[in-house]
Amino acid sequence: MSGPRHARGVWPVLGGGVVVALAAMLPLIWSNGYAIGLLTTMFITIVLAASWNFLLGMAGVWNFGQLALYAAGGYAAGALMLHTSLPPALALVGGGLASMLLAVVVAVPTLRLFGIYTALVTFAFAEVFRLVIVNDGSGLTGGPYGLPAIDGLFGSVAAPSAARAYYWTALAVAVASVGAVAAIVRSPLGLALRALRDSLPYASARGVDPLRYRVAAFGLSGFLAGLAGGLYASFNGSIGPEVMGLTEMSITVTMLVVGGLGTVMGPVLGTALLTAIEAAISGHPAIELTILGAILLVVVTLFPRGLAGATSAGVDRFAAWLREEDAPVAENEEVEQPQSAGTLIR
Amino acid sequence: MTELVAILVSAVVLGSIYGLVAVGMTLIYGVLRVFDMSQGSMVMVGGFVGWATLQSAHLGAVPAIGIAFAVTFVLGVATQLISVQPLLGRIGFDFEMITFITTFAVAMVLGNVALEVFGPRQRNVPPLVHGTLDVYHGVSLPWQSVAMVAVSIAAMVALWLFLARSRYGIAIRAVAQDPDAARLMGVPIRRMFPLVMGLASALGGVAGVFLGAQFFASPTAGDLPLLMALIVVVFGGLGSLPGTVYAAYAIGLTQSAAAVLIGTTWSLPILYAVILVVLVVRPHGLAGHPSQARL
Repeated sequence: MSGPRHARGVWPVLGGGVVVALAAMLPLIWSNGYAIGLLTTMFITIVLAASWNFLLGMAGVWNFGQLALYAAGGYAAGALMLHTSLPPALALVGGGLASMLLAVVVAVPTLRLFGIYTALVTFAFAEVFRLVIVNDGSGLTGGPYGLPAIDGLFGSVAAPSAARAYYWTALAVAVASVGAVAAIVRSPLGLALRALRDSLPYASARGVDPLRYRVAAFGLSGFLAGLAGGLYASFNGSIGPEVMGLTEMSITVTMLVVGGLGTVMGPVLGTALLTAIEAAISGHPAIELTILGAILLVVVTLFPRGLAGATSAGVDRFAAWLREEDAPVAENEEVEQPQSAGTLIR
Repeated sequence: MTELVAILVSAVVLGSIYGLVAVGMTLIYGVLRVFDMSQGSMVMVGGFVGWATLQSAHLGAVPAIGIAFAVTFVLGVATQLISVQPLLGRIGFDFEMITFITTFAVAMVLGNVALEVFGPRQRNVPPLVHGTLDVYHGVSLPWQSVAMVAVSIAAMVALWLFLARSRYGIAIRAVAQDPDAARLMGVPIRRMFPLVMGLASALGGVAGVFLGAQFFASPTAGDLPLLMALIVVVFGGLGSLPGTVYAAYAIGLTQSAAAVLIGTTWSLPILYAVILVVLVVRPHGLAGHPSQARL
């Protein structure tokens, strides 16, 4: 896999700034409540997708328990808002911290595992977490019904202004999360994670401590996922175990992979595209998921690095053409050969 | 004593059926390095084929199994050609993760097409064989389950004979061992891949007929078998067929013991706990070798 593309100039940053500024002005000129709510949910999903992409794509950890971390953040923030007099903003951060703690606990048993083994352990963790919540009779989590009537961040504000306030909050958190992931990827921590992803034995032989960096990656990713979960619970006014179902996971994975696993802009592109598709065909869950599956299949077999990966490769080729150079080779990468699995029957 | 017999009988039944589904996944991983997430859909399709042939068309057990084998074989070949073949030999991404996701996409499409066509309703599939067998005082077993165990074991033995003795089987093992060397020896490896995936999917389809008759045919009937097969494959060690078979029976035993002694609600969480402990102690499963890890 390739790393981030450094220093393509100021244009992407400028373009991103313009898009964010336009998005921030949108609720002032467009008072369609449904659209504003849809976009708010999209921003929250971008935070979740960015946090998952950080682990799955950038650190290469097959974590399939991210939705449990997301839900944990929602439950923790919701419980703090319901049962304590903490300011809602602090409750949100509390949700993030709770998820971070949980993520670090999950990280430890996966340290020696690779690939599908990690996937199974993290998925098992998520399933057990979901089952514990569904079967919880103590009233702390509300069992299968979830936590209802969470006042949220802007409980005391009138409905139309609250909707705008959520919109801007979610937008700000989404921009901050994507920015933070982009900054981390370019930092020594990001370099260490990529090294561990591409070759764990080689990287650890060169002094990159898998324990420290993997746990840090899990913690950061968990914090962002928990923040997203808290925002969701706050915006939605409730949180239940259905947010971590298999359908939700399929949709979020599709967003990530269609957008581009391991790319900074991938989660944003994928979430935006899938939100638009979902809005267009909502009401027919089976047809919707069939179409999403087909899109996933087509996009990934054509562009394994997703739309963001394909776009940046295209931009590079175009820039090279402008400079009248030969098209750059994909990247200086090792061809991954399937390795011997033994003789199967022995 | 009755409890013990009940646990053992249930362990053999569960282990055989998990083994049949999981052996296909191991075969695919061993040859192609793909975790085939569409294997559960093959179980689901097998269930619907069983429903269509036994319930609607009133065919016998043998044609039902034969048709399920043929249908899922073709589906498996198609899945390989659509979701894995276009990615072979390309660089710049994690092949195992991307094919895990593309086969998952196939499962999403198949499951939701089934949901759209057949609806969420569970459909009863008549048993392939009628009557019950009295095993021990108070422990009885439907002949249906006996047939399931017999067919599963027969299919696994047949697969072993195929891989050990036949020309094609030896070619498949050669590809699993070293694709490049196999190609140099004249094995048409690109043609072996669809064959392997079709064969493995067909095993899932046959399991699906029996599972459908045991429970129901429904669009989500493949989800739990897929999860159990994944657990078995990982527990046994990737790419080792004997490891997969041992693991299938070990998992069957764990699950039936937990179900009988503690209750069915917690049998899955207990299974997860066992897996977690095993993987922390042996990060490559029971029969897996660390050298198989990507270095």
